[in-house]
Amino acid sequence: MGFYLLSYLCIAAFVIATGYRIYRQMTLPVHVRWEIYPVQTETAAKAAYGGSYLEEIDWWEKKRGRSLLNEVRYMVPEILFIRGLWKENRGLWWVSFPFHFGLYLMIATFVLLVIHAAFTLWGAAGFGEGSSPRILLDGLIALMGWIGLILGTIGSLGLLHRRLTDPELRNYATPADYFNLILILLFFLSALVACLSGDPLLGGAKAYTLGLLTGGNPPVPYLPGQSAPGILAIVSASLLAAYIPLTHMSHMFMKYFLYHDVKWDDAPNRRGGRIEAAVRKNLALRPTWGAKHVEADGQKTWGDIASSAPKEVK
Amino acid sequence: MTRPLNPAGIADASECLCHIETGELAELPPPYEDFNRVTLPPLKPERAKNIEASLDDTVAIGIPKPASKEEEEALVRRFLAGLQKLFEKENNWTFLQPLLLSMEHCARCQTCSNACPVYEMSGHKEIYRPNFRAEVLRRIWRKYLKPGGKLAAKLSGDIDLNWTAIARLAELAYRCTLCRRCAAVCPIGVDNGLINHEIRKLFSQEMGIAPKEIHDKGTVQHLRVGSTTGMNPLAAKDSMEFIQEEMEEITGYKVEVPWDVEGADILLLHNAGEMLAWPENVGAFAIIFQAAGISWTLSSEAAGYDAVNYGLWYDDVQFSRVAVKHADIARRLKVKKIVLGECGHAHKALTVIADRLLTGDLNIPRESGMVTLEKIVLGGKLKFDPRRNDFPVTLHDPCNVVRAMGIVEPQRRILRKIAPRFREMTPHGVMNYCCGGGSGFAIMSGYNFSEWRNLVSSRKKFLQILEAFKGEPPEAPKYVCAPCSNCKGAIRDIIGYYHAEERSRLYYGGLVELIVNAMADMKKPLIRFGDEPSWTA
Repeated sequence: MGFYLLSYLCIAAFVIATGYRIYRQMTLPVHVRWEIYPVQTETAAKAAYGGSYLEEIDWWEKKRGRSLLNEVRYMVPEILFIRGLWKENRGLWWVSFPFHFGLYLMIATFVLLVIHAAFTLWGAAGFGEGSSPRILLDGLIALMGWIGLILGTIGSLGLLHRRLTDPELRNYATPADYFNLILILLFFLSALVACLSGDPLLGGAKAYTLGLLTGGNPPVPYLPGQSAPGILAIVSASLLAAYIPLTHMSHMFMKYFLYHDVKWDDAPNRRGGRIEAAVRKNLALRPTWGAKHVEADGQKTWGDIASSAPKEVK
Repeated sequence: MTRPLNPAGIADASECLCHIETGELAELPPPYEDFNRVTLPPLKPERAKNIEASLDDTVAIGIPKPASKEEEEALVRRFLAGLQKLFEKENNWTFLQPLLLSMEHCARCQTCSNACPVYEMSGHKEIYRPNFRAEVLRRIWRKYLKPGGKLAAKLSGDIDLNWTAIARLAELAYRCTLCRRCAAVCPIGVDNGLINHEIRKLFSQEMGIAPKEIHDKGTVQHLRVGSTTGMNPLAAKDSMEFIQEEMEEITGYKVEVPWDVEGADILLLHNAGEMLAWPENVGAFAIIFQAAGISWTLSSEAAGYDAVNYGLWYDDVQFSRVAVKHADIARRLKVKKIVLGECGHAHKALTVIADRLLTGDLNIPRESGMVTLEKIVLGGKLKFDPRRNDFPVTLHDPCNVVRAMGIVEPQRRILRKIAPRFREMTPHGVMNYCCGGGSGFAIMSGYNFSEWRNLVSSRKKFLQILEAFKGEPPEAPKYVCAPCSNCKGAIRDIIGYYHAEERSRLYYGGLVELIVNAMADMKKPLIRFGDEPSWTA
């Protein structure tokens, strides 16, 4: 039960930390625009060379061309294959891609394990032993699991090697960077060894997931920790789930905000619109900057200060 | 072997953190090999004895040295107070979300470094790496402002905080042109250029520390006198009168400049520096608008004839004041839209950044001059003879117009129509390189800063220009079209510093000059290459 408890606590930590990060982003004040082109939510024709709606004469009188399709076409290879790194830092891509793709496949494998456990538990029609859906799901779990573990192990070893040997990376690396990589490597390696030691179809993972959905009392009894690599895999995976959202590695999902709320946020402020209302709220905030020329006294609002000329030079 | 400098090294006690040795700067091709032996000489001790100058061999700000240990400690406390304010919505709603995102998610993969022309051209000097200063700020923030930071710093990157580190960080914030190429290539979307911008703000808004060219002589003078050039409204009108006469003399075309026309379709905002340094640019705009029958006006109100907004580079408060002033002038003139002349940062300042500052009737539509000109040139109302521009032309993309606004094609469509020998630089468009004068560098010259700019930050642009004209005979005049005042200033200085007019016959100018030069109505050319007219009737 101790392992399940650890996993539950870590999953809860993941949900809370991720939820907090997202909540905080969504409640921050509207900021000034700071987009960089190409903005991939533009139409494909404009995004191809980095153009914007500001290229149009009297742009404010026209409907803004937006393209979800273009955005998806850009984002899918960016997320899955880290296209940006391929283009700008090829040497690093060779180790970063397997690392990230390995992690993605682990997440996908976990989702499949949950589906597998749910079907097993709640007896989905046609999911009995030897049924085609079950064989298919078993196959997918094994395929994704194996590829993910192999790629992830190669990637984390490669990244660790790069951090240790590339002076550019080593010079900026902190103990936490090494700890992060070692923790992830530990997970990949221990899970890989567990599979290699007589569990090629990830039976242990299936049983443990079944246990997770049943408060540690699966219909098919499974005692976690039947092997040392199994223990390590369960503990490190649980800790990683809790740990990632607390670190810069949360870029995995926070990238959405980095792109959509900053890099691609080109939404114009229309009179009477949502953005204008938010800006008015911001202009009522009272800054306390200390330089004399700001002339902030804690009472004047941004609006007051913006519509005044400074009396002091410094 | 010496330990490579890392962010913690910024606090080290040394006389100079970075020195570029002869031969370390990126190599220039013939006939500029002699400049490969040139490097920045250290500042003379007597010039630097009372100011903070321990970062590298140049000085942008010239912060006075504190008189006592107590003063140093007070400055450190003030710095930390300012840093805290960067993360408060009351003080920094303008950039809080982008700042937090970039502070918290960098993986230190250094992909940004390869994109930075200053880092590359300097011979890969560590302090100029885009992530160096960002990482310094991250470490200080985590260690000194986050709960448990001092303990966590042992794991997440330690740094000591002393006045030396702070003074160096202030100077270092003025070794990046804010071109944001680093941000454009970051796979995660982290913006180290933004962090640099925020460092500048902290120093200005909390500690009153900024280069005098952009604060005292910049925004302060702009708001007090009416222009960063020091021109008051009367002087601005006098300048325009002179320009009108000049334009008639040069081109044979009589032009009238409308002032303060209420209800005009367009309020044209120029960088007032154009009136003094490149009057033909302002005159060319007037000719084009008049010939096209546009309803337009200039404003003679203080600040209304100067589109610049230096606050964009270092201070949100000063930025807001200038932007509101511009919008208010347009509002009272009851114009339909503001059109920005050839000034890149003014484009971004008023069109993009101020977009989430101006509300109600201050939110007057703003348009790039590139777009307005495209409609005129391609509209068919004006007749052109492109053969008049029969010389090699290349286009410099101002970062603020292209990467920051996505205005890429209008200027190119114009050039394709009027400049038959137009060719692109490599790379161009949204992946262009900065002229080296961005974020105020073009107007900063105190101490030996302009020499650093010519040698380091403008070097990549110089290489690009030379590459664009490769294969052209040295004696053939070549035109670098730079539709931005600051970029023009930087390119003028490159050409002067490297004797590129004498060695490669490089000339520079704006877009409107090329347009007027090709107008069939002109009796005489506007563009001259030294004493040589660009065409003869």
